[in-house]
Amino acid sequence: MIVMLPEWLTPLLSEQTVKLLEYLTNGKHLAWYASFRYTVIAAVAGGLLAVVFGLLGASLKQSKWAPLRWIGNIYTTMVRGIPDVLFLLFFPLAFEQFVEWMWAYQSCTPEERAMATGWPLCDNAQWLLSSTEYLILACFSFGIVYGAFAANVIYGAMRAVPKGQLEAAHAFGFSSSQVFWHFQVRQMWVYALPGLSNVWLSLIKATSLLSLLQIVDIVQWAGRLGAPNYLPMAGLVHPDWRWKYYFVLFLLYILMTYLSERFFAYLQKRASRGMVRAS
Amino acid sequence: MFKKALLSVLLGAALVSGSVLAEDKLRIASEGAYAPYNYLDDNGKLAGFEIDLGNALCEQVKMKCEWVTNAFDAMIPNLIAGNYDAIMAGMSITDERKKTITFSDEYKPVDPSLYVTTKDTKLDFEKLEGKNIGVQSGTIQAKFAEEKWGAKNKIKAFEKPDQSIADLSAGNVDMVLADGEFIRTMIKGAGDALVLAGPEEMIGGGIGIGLRQNDKELLEKLNGGLKALKESGKVDELIKKYFDAGPFYKK
Amino acid sequence: MDLTAIPFFNDLVTLFKPALFNIYFALASIPFGFPFAILLALAKTSSKRWLRWPAEVFIYAFRGSPLFIQFFMFYSLMLSFNQTLWKPLGVSEFVLHPLFIGPIVLVLNTSAYAAEIFYGALRSIPKGEIEAARATGMNTWQEFWVVKWPNMLRLAWPAYTNEVVFLFHATALVYFTLPVIDEQKDLMNKASELFKQDYALFVHFSAAAVYFLIISMLIFWVSSLFYKYLTRHLNTNRSIKLKPNYLR
Repeated sequence: MIVMLPEWLTPLLSEQTVKLLEYLTNGKHLAWYASFRYTVIAAVAGGLLAVVFGLLGASLKQSKWAPLRWIGNIYTTMVRGIPDVLFLLFFPLAFEQFVEWMWAYQSCTPEERAMATGWPLCDNAQWLLSSTEYLILACFSFGIVYGAFAANVIYGAMRAVPKGQLEAAHAFGFSSSQVFWHFQVRQMWVYALPGLSNVWLSLIKATSLLSLLQIVDIVQWAGRLGAPNYLPMAGLVHPDWRWKYYFVLFLLYILMTYLSERFFAYLQKRASRGMVRAS
Repeated sequence: MFKKALLSVLLGAALVSGSVLAEDKLRIASEGAYAPYNYLDDNGKLAGFEIDLGNALCEQVKMKCEWVTNAFDAMIPNLIAGNYDAIMAGMSITDERKKTITFSDEYKPVDPSLYVTTKDTKLDFEKLEGKNIGVQSGTIQAKFAEEKWGAKNKIKAFEKPDQSIADLSAGNVDMVLADGEFIRTMIKGAGDALVLAGPEEMIGGGIGIGLRQNDKELLEKLNGGLKALKESGKVDELIKKYFDAGPFYKK
Repeated sequence: MDLTAIPFFNDLVTLFKPALFNIYFALASIPFGFPFAILLALAKTSSKRWLRWPAEVFIYAFRGSPLFIQFFMFYSLMLSFNQTLWKPLGVSEFVLHPLFIGPIVLVLNTSAYAAEIFYGALRSIPKGEIEAARATGMNTWQEFWVVKWPNMLRLAWPAYTNEVVFLFHATALVYFTLPVIDEQKDLMNKASELFKQDYALFVHFSAAAVYFLIISMLIFWVSSLFYKYLTRHLNTNRSIKLKPNYLR
């Protein structure tokens, strides 16, 4: 109840409105609003990592060495056959187990390792994760999964860069890696933007899954706040209000999609400055 | 190259966080949806019997409590995986659970589980058939209901206890089987909309702190603390405050 | 060699029944989602505002928000009508059952995505063909069945196939959001349950992944056969490759 209404406003509002405003600004609700930061962090960090993994995947795909190309192709096609939620659950757990397994070889005795039936292999190889680390792992999960989508976009965009430009660069005496980084990658963005915009929109929607990764995010809070409460100790007594809270999230995500679309349209306009239009 | 760098950064973070695992910090998981054992107060903070008790216990054994909220059915795996050190979430001591984790001495004596239903639902517990029974997934009641009623009735498992009550109020399940204190609290709060029904089911043991099996030292420490709190009457005082029952432990 | 000694094969056996649930959710959604999507697409191309506007809002809303939240929202919304509507009608048991409400939400979701695909296809039908239809005196109905429908189907088919695969993947979310009844569990649900028992992450998750992968490939394969049929008159080799699209 830390609502601070200007004094002149209070008499203008009905008692009910004031009560509602108080309810909507109690600690629980403030915690809900604050938990939006996880969504934003996961989306932004996940998105940046997705571009990084995307560039990596795309350069693997166009590598001259066949095994690297295969790795790139496996990485980018696996997301097409397996749901993203499976990967999102898998990567953080796999990373945690991987770290503990590596520790086990430093800090467990061979007997302990041999004895271990479950996980972890011994006490010393116990990685205690807090929500910060979960968030970092979640960002990487998003980065890896949506990086595979981005890699396909970037790969396509790289091939869309007119060959003549690259040939010209070669002719001017730039080395292969210079041509790749300073011409192909630099020119590629404008072709990649529409596709990357779609990856971003999918990624935003996937951030709703954060609660599955042990993070108390906006979806988790909405469930808690909306659940029926019969206990005066635990705040306002109310019946099941969950759909109202989920509806707010529904609208929030639509708004985020809309704003992202506008932002990408602006980027596209900026990026295409000086481009020769075919029409 | 880049991937390697990222990996080492993350590994670094992992090592740092692992090394600050100071002895004096006790990370306790609770659910925040099982009133009066644990719930979220108006400020969004964990509150309830177990939170008060846990904080008193931490003070007793000179550790620093750090509370984590987590889904009930994910708690044992997360405890074993080391994401926290203890569970205080109205978890009954059972032989089944003792296979994977260990428990402190009980801090709340065994209490029969109860059925709750809405006031106009008539249930014949002699021959219960074709009913929807709501439970929380991963609880002893879920297992019990499956064994006792599963053959002729549908068992609906919800992730959170308040979801099962929401579905009961909305009439989507005919009854809910849960811990006695939780049910009594719901009924008290709901006025006359919800009523008790059927037999009392004596399942599980008392409620204790869930710990990893190899944390022997911590187990002894917490048991010592619990003993002191029981003797000083603190546990009884909290039971009185939240459940209006007892005293159980003070000599 | 004894296959049952290998945990991975054991998992494949255990996960067979859960896989049927995912298949059910997808199969139950497609027959409703497909026609609904076409209706939405037609409404969106309509010149009448009262038809176009609701279709546009619906498509934007369901494409612009996460399925995960749509599930939560719909279940709790339907639940709130239980006492006043479903119970008196005697359909409560049925309406709130995950096997019913799951496909409902999936239909709403997939038809929004598919409508956008069909809408794009409708817009890229060669203008000349429509003009020809009108010139020969066809009415709107004939124009649709003779010109628009076959063109739209052929143009949209590769993208629609992708949508079906995405829909199949989306079934993984059903039991993360709806109550689980008895032993009715899907692939993700069962795989996580197995994981919680013995922490063998790779075994359980890869077994689930194998099912998703195989069924996804089956969808692509069956669909490419149908695409071959759709494009049999075109006398080109475009029918051979149904390229997986990477984004929904």
